[in-house]
Amino acid sequence: MPPSRGADASPAFSTPDQVPKMTAKTPPESTESLWLRRCVIMSFWAVAICLGLPMWWKTTAIYRAELPLQAMTDWADGKMCKPVFPLRIAIEAPTLPEQDAQHLLQTTQHALDDLNEFSAHHLRLMLTESPLTPNISQQVVTHHGLGTRSNDEDIALSIRLIPVETGATPRSQLQPYAPTLDVYYTHNQLPPPSSTSSPLATSIAHELDKIFAEEQALLAYLLSTTSGAHAAKMKSLSPGTFTELERQSTRALKYAPTYHLTFSLFTPTSVPSAWEIESALQRYLSPLLESFSAISNFTVDSQVQLYAGFSPSIRAPEYDEAMQAWTLRKEDLSGFINAAEWPLSPSIGHGPTVNFVLYVPDQSQSPLLVKENGGNSWLVPQWGGVLILNPASSQTPTTLTKDALAPAMHSFADQLLSLLGLPQSPASFPLRLSTLKRVRAASLIFSASSTMGALARLTRQLESIPVPDTVARSVDSTMAHLQQSCDLLRDGRFQGALEHARNAESEAEKAFFERSMVGQVYFPDEHKVAVYLPLLGPVAVPLIMAALKELKSVLPGRRR
Amino acid sequence: MLSFRSLIFFHALVACVLGSSDYAERLLLRPLPQSALLASFNFRSNESFTSFEQQNFRYFPRSLAQILQHAGTKELHLRFSLGRWDAESWGERPHNGAREGGTGVELWAWLDAENEQEAFSRWLTLTNTLSGLFCASLNFIDATKTIRPVMSFQPEGDHPNLSQLHLLHGTLPHEVVCTENLTPFLKLLPCKGKAGISSLLDGHKLFDASWQTMSIDVRPVCEASGECILEMEQTVDMVLDIDRSKRPRDNPIPRPLPIEEIECDTSKGYNAADTCYPLHGSAEPDFSLSQLFGRPIKGACPLTDSDGENANTVCINTPPERTVHANTTGPYVESRLVADTLRCYKLPTGADFDLSLPSQQMTTGLMLQPPSLFAARHINGHGQERGSIQTTIRNPTSSAVDFIYLESLPWFMKPYIHTLRARVSNSLENPITETFYKPAVDRHRGTHLELRMLIPASSTLTLTYDFEKAILRYTEYPPDANRGFDAAPAVIRLVSPGSADRKGVYIRTTSLLLPLPTPDFSMPYNVIILTSTVMALGFGNIFNLLVRRIVGADEVPGAGTGGIRGVIKGKVERLRALLGGVKKNT
Repeated sequence: MPPSRGADASPAFSTPDQVPKMTAKTPPESTESLWLRRCVIMSFWAVAICLGLPMWWKTTAIYRAELPLQAMTDWADGKMCKPVFPLRIAIEAPTLPEQDAQHLLQTTQHALDDLNEFSAHHLRLMLTESPLTPNISQQVVTHHGLGTRSNDEDIALSIRLIPVETGATPRSQLQPYAPTLDVYYTHNQLPPPSSTSSPLATSIAHELDKIFAEEQALLAYLLSTTSGAHAAKMKSLSPGTFTELERQSTRALKYAPTYHLTFSLFTPTSVPSAWEIESALQRYLSPLLESFSAISNFTVDSQVQLYAGFSPSIRAPEYDEAMQAWTLRKEDLSGFINAAEWPLSPSIGHGPTVNFVLYVPDQSQSPLLVKENGGNSWLVPQWGGVLILNPASSQTPTTLTKDALAPAMHSFADQLLSLLGLPQSPASFPLRLSTLKRVRAASLIFSASSTMGALARLTRQLESIPVPDTVARSVDSTMAHLQQSCDLLRDGRFQGALEHARNAESEAEKAFFERSMVGQVYFPDEHKVAVYLPLLGPVAVPLIMAALKELKSVLPGRRR
Repeated sequence: MLSFRSLIFFHALVACVLGSSDYAERLLLRPLPQSALLASFNFRSNESFTSFEQQNFRYFPRSLAQILQHAGTKELHLRFSLGRWDAESWGERPHNGAREGGTGVELWAWLDAENEQEAFSRWLTLTNTLSGLFCASLNFIDATKTIRPVMSFQPEGDHPNLSQLHLLHGTLPHEVVCTENLTPFLKLLPCKGKAGISSLLDGHKLFDASWQTMSIDVRPVCEASGECILEMEQTVDMVLDIDRSKRPRDNPIPRPLPIEEIECDTSKGYNAADTCYPLHGSAEPDFSLSQLFGRPIKGACPLTDSDGENANTVCINTPPERTVHANTTGPYVESRLVADTLRCYKLPTGADFDLSLPSQQMTTGLMLQPPSLFAARHINGHGQERGSIQTTIRNPTSSAVDFIYLESLPWFMKPYIHTLRARVSNSLENPITETFYKPAVDRHRGTHLELRMLIPASSTLTLTYDFEKAILRYTEYPPDANRGFDAAPAVIRLVSPGSADRKGVYIRTTSLLLPLPTPDFSMPYNVIILTSTVMALGFGNIFNLLVRRIVGADEVPGAGTGGIRGVIKGKVERLRALLGGVKKNT
C-alpha cells in the first residue's frame, strides 16, 4: 500500500510543497480499519437504498387500481364489438300453402340480399304461423296489432300478404300506427316453384329496402363518425345525405334515460298571465310521450314569466311594410333567448332539460315574424324550441285557451321529435321508434366505448393521478354491460341491448368523472421534494462525499 | 293613545291581506325617530296544490318549487339579514320579528322523511340547491351548523302528517348578504321588479340601510273544505336613514353643513361663533320615494287585484296632520284608514308613482309600541382559553313573560353547563322552567341549548355561562382566521304573551365574534425545517465519527505540537508560505 493512499490530510495541509512532508509523518492505516470504514459507508448506502428509497416510494405512491387498459382501448377502437343489426321480418301468409310461402320467402330473401350494400344491417325474413283463419282480410285489418303480432317483440316488421282480385298488384301499404306492411297480390304473381325470382318477391324486397334506407344511412353515418375502425368497410354515403344526417345529429339531444320538458310562456308585458297548459299538454303531448316510454322517460313542467325583455345584444324588431309585420333578423334568433334574465334553469335531477318557449309579443310589436322566411318558430339545437304566438285578436287575451295553444303544441311536438333524433321516414310511427331504439343503442355503445378509451388514455398519460377501486369496478361493469349489449344486438334483441347500453353509458360516465381522481393532480412531485429537502440535503451531502472519497482512493490503486 | 290603536289595527290589516287572491303585494312606510324610515315590502303568491304537484307554475317560481319537491320540503323559511334592529328607539319589530332572521343567513324547514338520516340527506340537498339559487354559501350548512329545535319553532302551515316531518335549522352568521342575493330574490317575483312596489328594490339602497332583512316563507294553507294551496311570502324589511339615502349618488361623501345653517344649542357654555353643539331638529325631514330609493314606483303590478283591500299596495303610517303628496300622471285612489293614521294608495297602471313628504314641524307624533322584551348578548372574559357568555333580557312590561331561548353554538365553543346561571334582578327564584341540551361532538355537531324561562314583570334576567375555546386543526381555519369566528345569534320566542296568528313573536340578538387562538400559518414548514436540521446534525456527527480516521497526536511523528497551538501554528506557516510565494512572484 503506497503511503500516499493514507491521505487523510485536512485541506489545511494540502498545499503541494507540504504534502510529502506531512504524509510521511502519518502512520500507514491498517487494512483492517480501512475495510471497516468502507463497510460502514457501504452499510449506510445499503440502508439508504434498500430501506429508505422503498419507504419513500411506498409512502408517497398514489394508489392506482388495476385497469384493463388494453381491453378498454380495444373497445374504443371497435375491436371488441362489431355492431350488427339483424332485423327480423315476419311474413304472414295465411292463405298460402306452407311450401309456396317458404319458396316466396327464399326468393325474397335472395332479392333482399342482392339489394343490401350494408353488411352490418341485414333483414332476415321468417314465416309466422298466423292464428287467423284465411279469407277474412277485413277482420285482419281491424285486429291488427292484436291478432297478427307474434309474442316475440323483437320482430321489427310484419308483412301481411293479402290476396286480392282487383287493383294494381303487387302494391303495398304501410300501417301508420303499427309496424305492419300490407302487401296485396294476385295469385299469378307468386313465384313458380322452378323460378328464382318473381315480381312479388322483387317488389317486397324493394319496398323493404326503401323502408329501411334511412335507418341504414343513419347507422352508417354513426359508424363512420364515431370510430375510425368501422369507417373503412362502410358503404359510402352521398355527400348530400351525409350533411343532412350531420345536421340532424347535431340537432338531437344526447341520449338520456330521462328528459325534463319545460314549457314556458314569456311575454314582455303583463298579459297573457295564464294559459290552459294542463289540458293542452294532456291532449297534445301525453300520447306522444307515452309512445316514447320504451326509450326514455319524461317529466313535464310549465311556468309563466311576465316582463321578459329581449337581451340587449340583439337588434330590436323592425317593422316590415311588405309583410305588414314586425320582423326579427335570422342572425338574431340565436340571441333571442335572454339567458341572463329568463329563468330557464335546468330542472333538478338527472337528465337534460328540453325547453319550449312560447313568446307572446307586446301588443305594439305584433305580429312578430322572422324576416327572412316569415316563420314564427325555430328550433335551438340540443336545447329546445321557440314559437312566437301572435294573438289573433287585436287585444291580447289574459288567458290563452287550449285551442289557441293548439298550433304551438303541434310545432312543439314536431320540435321534440327532431330533438329526440327520431328519423323522418318511414311513414309508420312504430317503425321510426324502433329505428330510434337501434340507433340509440348503437350510439350509446360507441359513446361508452370511447369514454373507456379516453379513460385508458388518461390513466396512461397522467402518471400522477390516483385510480380508486370504484373506478375499476365501474370499468368492469361497463365492459360487462357493453359485451351483453353487443351480444343482444347480434341476437336482434334491441330493447335489451338498449337497456344494457344505457347502463354501460352511465357506469362509464361514473368512472370517468370520479371526483377523487382529480385532486392529486395539483400536488406535484416538486412540492414533496421541497418539503423533504431540509432533511435530505444535509444527510445526502456527507454520504455522497464519503462515497466519492473512498471511490477516488480505490480507483487509482486499481489502476496502478 | 290614538296612534297606539292604529298600530294594532295595522297588524290586523296585514293579516287580512294574506288570504284571498293569488297574488298580492304591499309596501308599508313608517317614519321612525331620528330621521329613520321603516319600509316593509310584502309579496305573496299562491299556487294550488294540484298545479304544484303537476309542476304547472303560474305565480309560484318554478326554480324554487322544483327544489322543494326534490328535497321533500313541506315548509320553508329562509332569511337574509344585515344590521341590528334598534329596539330602544324603533320600538317593536315589524311582523313581531316573525319575518326576520339573525345576522347572515338563517334557514329552517320541515322535511318529509322516514327517518333522521333521510331527513338529513334531504336537508343537505336542500341547502346545496338553495345555495345555487340564491348565490349564497348555504352549502356550508353542514352537520356542525344544523340543529333540530325542540320548542323554538312551530310550523305555520297546515300539515296533515306532522309526525313524519322533521324540523332542521341552520345558520350562517358569517355570510355577508349582498346584491347577488337580491337579484335571484327579485326574479322569484311575478313582476320581477319591472312594475309594482318591487320596482323600488335596488341593491345600492337596500344594502345601504341601517337594518334590513329579506325573507322567503313557503307554507301549505288548507281550507276547512280540504282544498290546499301553497303560499309563498316574500318580505323585505329595511330601516333607511333618510339623510344618508338622500345624498346624491355623484357626491356621496357626507360633509357637515356650514355653521350658519346648523341649529345650535345656545345653552352650552362653549357655544360661540365657531363652536356649536347641534340640536336635533324637531321638524320631520322631507323625503320622497324617488329620493330614498333612487326611482319612483313604475305603476301597479297588473297581477294584483284592481279593487278591494289588496288593491291598496302602498301605505304610509303618519300622524293625520302630516302632508303627503302623491305625484303621478295616472289615476290613483287614496284612502285613509285607522283614524287617518294610515294612508293607503291604489297605484295607477303603467304610470310612475311617487310619494313626497315635505319637511314639517310636528306637534303630535305617533307613539311606537314598545317591544315586550329587550335582549342583548355579549362575550366576556379575556385570553385565548376561556370566555363566558352573558345574555341580558329585560322585561319592560307590567306582566310576566314566558319565553324560549335557543342557542346554537359552533362545536369549537364548548360551554360548561354546570356554570349556567340565570338570575332575575328582583327575585331569588330560578327563572328556568325547562332545559333541553344536546352537547357538541368535536367536528360533527354543534351545541344545541334551549331554555324555557319565565321573566317577571319589569325585571331583568341575566343568563351567564362559561365556555372553553377549542384549538382547531391547521386546515380548519378560514382564510381570514385572525378576524375571529362568528357565533350565531340567540333566538327568543315569546310563548305568552304570544301572537294571535301562527307566526309567533320572535326576538334575535346580534351575532357574536369569537376570537380563537390562531397559529402562525407558516408553522408546519418551520417545524419541518427545524426538525430536519436537528436530525441532519445528529446524522452528520455520527457518520463522521464512524468514517473519519482518528489518529492520536503522539502517533504522528514530527507533529509535536497538537491541539489549538498546533492548528494556529499550521495556519501561520501556511500564511507565511503564501505571502512568501506572492513576494517571489513580484
